[in-house]
Formats: sequence, C-alpha cells, structure tokens
Amino acid sequence: MRRVDPATDPWRRAPSPAGVPVTPAAGLLLDEAQWQQARERWPLGVAVGLWLTNTAEPQRLADDLPRLALLVLSFPKWTDGRAYSQARLLRARLGYRGELRAEGDVIADMLPLLARTGFDSAVLRADQSAAAAERALGFFDCGHYQGDLREPRPRYARP
Amino acid sequence: MYAYTDFDRRFVRARAAQYRDQLERHLRGELSADDFRPLRLQNGWYVQRHAPMLRVAIPYGELSARQLRQLAHIADTHDRQDAGLPTERGGFGHFTTRQNLQFNWIPLERSADVMDALAEVDMHGIQTSGNCIRNITTDAFAGIAPDEEVDPRPYCEILRQWSTLHPEFAFLPRKFKVAVSGAREDRAAIAWHDIGLQLRRDEAGRVGFEVFAGGGMGRTPMVAARMHPFVPWQQILLFIEAILRVYNRLGRRDNLHKARIKILVRAEGQRFVDAVHEEYRAMVERDLGASALVIPDHELERVSAHFRLPGRLRERLDRPAGPPAAVPPEPADRRWLERCVHPHRVPALRAVTLSLKRAGLPPGDVTGGQMRAAADLAERFSEGELRVSHDQNLVLPWVHQDELPALWAAARALGVATPNVGLLTDMIACPGGDLCALANARSIPIAAAITERFADLDELHDLGEVDLHISGCINSCGHHHSGHIGILGVDKDGSEWYQLTVGGSDGTRASGPAGPGRVIGPALAADEVPDAIEAIVEAVRGAREPGERFVDTVRRLGAAPLRAATDAIRQQPSAGAGA
Repeated sequence: MRRVDPATDPWRRAPSPAGVPVTPAAGLLLDEAQWQQARERWPLGVAVGLWLTNTAEPQRLADDLPRLALLVLSFPKWTDGRAYSQARLLRARLGYRGELRAEGDVIADMLPLLARTGFDSAVLRADQSAAAAERALGFFDCGHYQGDLREPRPRYARP
Repeated sequence: MYAYTDFDRRFVRARAAQYRDQLERHLRGELSADDFRPLRLQNGWYVQRHAPMLRVAIPYGELSARQLRQLAHIADTHDRQDAGLPTERGGFGHFTTRQNLQFNWIPLERSADVMDALAEVDMHGIQTSGNCIRNITTDAFAGIAPDEEVDPRPYCEILRQWSTLHPEFAFLPRKFKVAVSGAREDRAAIAWHDIGLQLRRDEAGRVGFEVFAGGGMGRTPMVAARMHPFVPWQQILLFIEAILRVYNRLGRRDNLHKARIKILVRAEGQRFVDAVHEEYRAMVERDLGASALVIPDHELERVSAHFRLPGRLRERLDRPAGPPAAVPPEPADRRWLERCVHPHRVPALRAVTLSLKRAGLPPGDVTGGQMRAAADLAERFSEGELRVSHDQNLVLPWVHQDELPALWAAARALGVATPNVGLLTDMIACPGGDLCALANARSIPIAAAITERFADLDELHDLGEVDLHISGCINSCGHHHSGHIGILGVDKDGSEWYQLTVGGSDGTRASGPAGPGRVIGPALAADEVPDAIEAIVEAVRGAREPGERFVDTVRRLGAAPLRAATDAIRQQPSAGAGA
C-alpha cells in the first residue's frame, strides 16, 4: 500500500475550461466527462488517469480500463464507504490492472480496508501521521476470515 | 457451542491491539473525537449520558459459563463509579434484544483494558455498533427446539466469520442487522431485520434460505420484503453480498433517517429485487474470487462439528432413563414448569428460561454477582452453556428432566424463577433515558411501575401471553412497534410522555404476521401509563371470548375501544397537548 506524497506526485488534475477538450499530455487526471470527450483521440502512448466520484458506475469504463494507468476513487467523507465497492468491482469483475488510488478524506485507519478491496495507493489527509499509518497496516498479520483482493482464499481454505 | 480456534484467538487479540492504538492516539490528541467515534463504535463503544457504553458481542446469543464469569469480573472491576446515586454506581450488565450485553459505567480510559479482558475469553465488541454488519442473531432455542427444520447455528457462525471485518462493507450508509431462523416458529423476529433468513428444506431435503430484506423499526417501521424463495445454502454468502453491494452503492447517505436499507427497498420496490438478482448473476458469472464465497461441504461440516450434543450429555443419554421426575406439588412450581421450562428435541432434556424480569431490577439487567450465579447454574445443569434470548432473558439449553426440581430450587433462590415468561411482565425494554443519550424518556421506571402493578401471578396467567415492549425513543431499541402493547417515550416541551400502540407483532404464529401496532390516542404522562395499561387489559379481558388470546382480542376489537378505555385515564390537563 503506497502512500502518495502530493508534493512529488507526477499526476495532476486536467484543467477544465468549460467545453474545451483536454489536450493530451502525460500525467493528466481527467474526470469522466473530460475522458468521454477525449477518449477517441487520446494517443496510446500517453499515460492517462481518471478521477471518479464515488457514484460513478465502473461498468461504464469497462472497455477503457486497459488504457488507463491510474484510477483515483474519492472519499468525500472517510465514513462514506461507496468507493470500496467500486474498487472491488474494478478489480474482481472488470479486471482493472492499473494503479487504484484513494483520495479525499482518507485517514490512516482506512489503509487495511483499502488494501483489501484492491487499492494500491492512497493520498492520506494532510494531518495523518506516517507512523500511525505504518502501524495501521500491521495489526492483522494473522490474516482475516473472508477472502479479499490481496488474499482471495477465506481463512478455512488457507494452510 | 463454537470453540475458538487458535486463529480466532489471534484475531480478537489483534483487534484489541488495534483498538488500543486508536484509543491511545485519541487520548494523546492525535486522533480527533470525530475520527475516533466511528472506530470506537465498531468496537462497541458509545458515549452515553453518564459514561461510555460498551456493547459486547454474543454471537447468535451463545454464551459459556466461563465467558459469563469474565463479564461478571468486568462488571465488578471496570463497570464502576465512585460517586453519584446508588443506581449510578454501575456493576451490572444489560442483555439486549439483539442477544448482546451492555455495560454502562466503564470509563473510556479503561476501554482497551476491557477489550483485552474480553479477548481472554474469546469475546470482543466487534461490529456491535456503527454502520456495518452487526452481530448475527437467531432463535434462543436454536439447535434444541422440537419445531426446528434446520439448526441455524453453523450458518450463523459462517455468517459471523464472513461478516467480521469485511473490508467492503465496513462503512455502509447505516447499521445492518441480520437474523436467522431455522424453526417453523420464528423466534428471531426476522421480518424486522435488514436481512431476515429463514432456513428451509425443499422437497428433496436440500437446505436453503428464504431471504427477506428491508425490515426495520425506527420512525418508519417496515416489514422485510422477500428477495428470494430459496437460495441453496452453498450460495448464501454470494446472495447476501449482492444485497449489501447494491445497498452500499445506492443506499441514501444524505439523510440519516432515510439511510437504512428499508428505505431503498421501499423506494425501489421490484427494481431493488431485480438489481440484487442481477448483481448476484454478475458475481457468479464474472467475478474473480466469487467461487471463494461458495461454502464447501467440508467447511459446513467443520463448523457443524462444534454444535453437536455436548459429549458428557451424550453419554448420559445413552444410559437407561430413570423414572420421570415427580410432578412438583406447589402451584408455583407447576407455573414454572409451564412458563419457564420448554420442550427439547431430545426427549429427556429441557430448555429452561431464567427470567430476568423481576421486581427491583430493570428488564434484562444482571449484576456481577447474578452473572456469576447464573454461570454456576449453567455449569451445574446445562453443560456450561447459556443462551441470551431476544426477549432479554437467559436460557439454559441442556437441562436433564431429572434435574428440574434442583434447578427450580436454585433458580428460585437466585430470583430468576419468576414464572412470567411470555406473559405481560416479561417485557422487552431498552435502557431508556436513565442511561441512553438518545432517549426522549425513561423506560426503567415505567417497566418497574408495570411490574409492580401486575405482580399478581394469578392475574398474569389468566391474561395469557402478552408481548409488552417499551422504547425510550423512536429508535425503537425496545421494539415497541412489534408489541401487542407498545409504549414509546416521546419528548414534549422537555418533559417525558408515552405513546401507546396496540396490535403489533414480532412475526410469531401466536402474534400473527409481523407488523407495527396502531397508536391509540395522545401520549400519556408517566404516572398515567400503568393505569392505561391496566385499562387496556381490563377492556380486553371484558371482551374476550373463551380461549381467545390477548392479541387476537386486541385485533378483533380494533384500536377505537382501547383508545376509549385509555381516554378515561387521560385526566391531567396537560395530557391533551400534542397528538
């Protein structure tokens, strides 16, 4: 579970002047509307990422997933758990293989849940301590009962 | 009962360590009160009127004597206040309708120590609160009831394991309660749950679940709708995940009062059912890892092995039976046999309810000393096992018929042999405004006044079975909606009032199809409530036909005459305020 430092992160939200299509460039994060407008002519060699609201329907992106290097799922409030289901659908149903990142009101205590639902990176809320985040990932070395995106086997099926 | 494996133990200890880290960060000021709240809630820690409240999980209501002793130890050593009124010093626990136990007086600073103490006896507070999948509940007579089709306990345990720290469903729109019944009589009120599961066998004898969703109480009481007539047991986790995923994605999060799944089920109707079935199909056909949700035979077998008849008891039953125990001579003894002793699927055994509805203590409350004494009874008479019932009593599930006289004497000495199980004073009640920060009104004094008013056992027995349910606010923890008589505490201009309903049902055959009662008239003042209950009882008694049950007379009469009966009580001028 990689913790992303916004200061050094190469990805940035695409500028969005009304109605103007985004000019393809490496490291741009587009929202769904921008992507729909740009997808036809986005060059294969230019890495692109999408930023999704937590009400977005992952199925709509099914055909585009192989072209996406990064998907950012958002947590407007950390107790709003919709993005966990989006993440699971993207990984387990739609076979998304690129980076899956959590952003927004993300606290250290969410990291185990994020890791287990298929996220591989997170931008923690600015006030979160790195030490607490490190510890948060270490409590359940014994594993969990049910399978997840990291360990698909439930406890009873593991040695 | 289920015996923890080494993994289960490591898991609860890991959870206790995680909680300690969160508590310490909070106490150091590194974790704000707002961020700490959802974390402590998912470990059972509320902050209440006087102190934090801890809700300890008792999975599907099964409790060992050893665990109950540890709960007694926690009551005695941690659930303590040095100051305040005599009733505010703690030292007791409260059994809830969801088969859990609550402590009310533990200082938050000691909460991590208490989690460690619970982990020592394979207990915890995981998911007893918060917007997640709560403790799975079932019939207190699971595995022993003569009318049982399928023992629900192995399935409850599989559901417990599957739901525990499920990463996708830890932050749902709202709390989520699952109840399972495996008997012909529904003693788990499944229709009132977010998901209700009825175990059945089809014509070929295969086991599956009739699945309901969208039941709930609160300010919008709703009875669950059927989602599927028969999901084979192997597939049940897939089907439940389908329901939860649809709910997690589409349930309302803009309004706390409209966030339960019942609102989604009602708003979407058949579209919700279709969405669940579509999600289920997609999981089966497309999802990587979906096969890991199919329960294999060997896993059901492994878990079921925990729930076989206790070994010592098997040996005893193999020996030839002695002569049947003499019929107790005293009428009070016969009443106890009639009300507190229940038939068992093993002919020589009985289940015995220890009534926690007695004068002097709130419904469902037990002191540390009483917990210890109940643990002794469980060890002496019931293979060290107890059940917590939905009606807030304790049940001893493995009592040999020969030992009924000795148990009767011991239970009477302990004050838990009141032969009122199923009768009017065997009421369900929440802790109410004495302890709960949400409550609009107190429940405990109302319960006490009614207990006192209906102390005459002849009268109680003559009246027959009555479900009386008391909630201190519309959150409905005391299930007032499903009571034959429901009492709801309401706040009017800062004072306590009580609204009565009649004719509700929890869904048992005796009570009729599950449904909320009807409000009868304006709310009453606290001191009018016992008179009003008595007026209802007298009106029903006067109108009932021979052999007619209380609730049937109530239904036949309808709300109007019962309202009229209570109108005579509404004498105080201020009682007319509001509707």
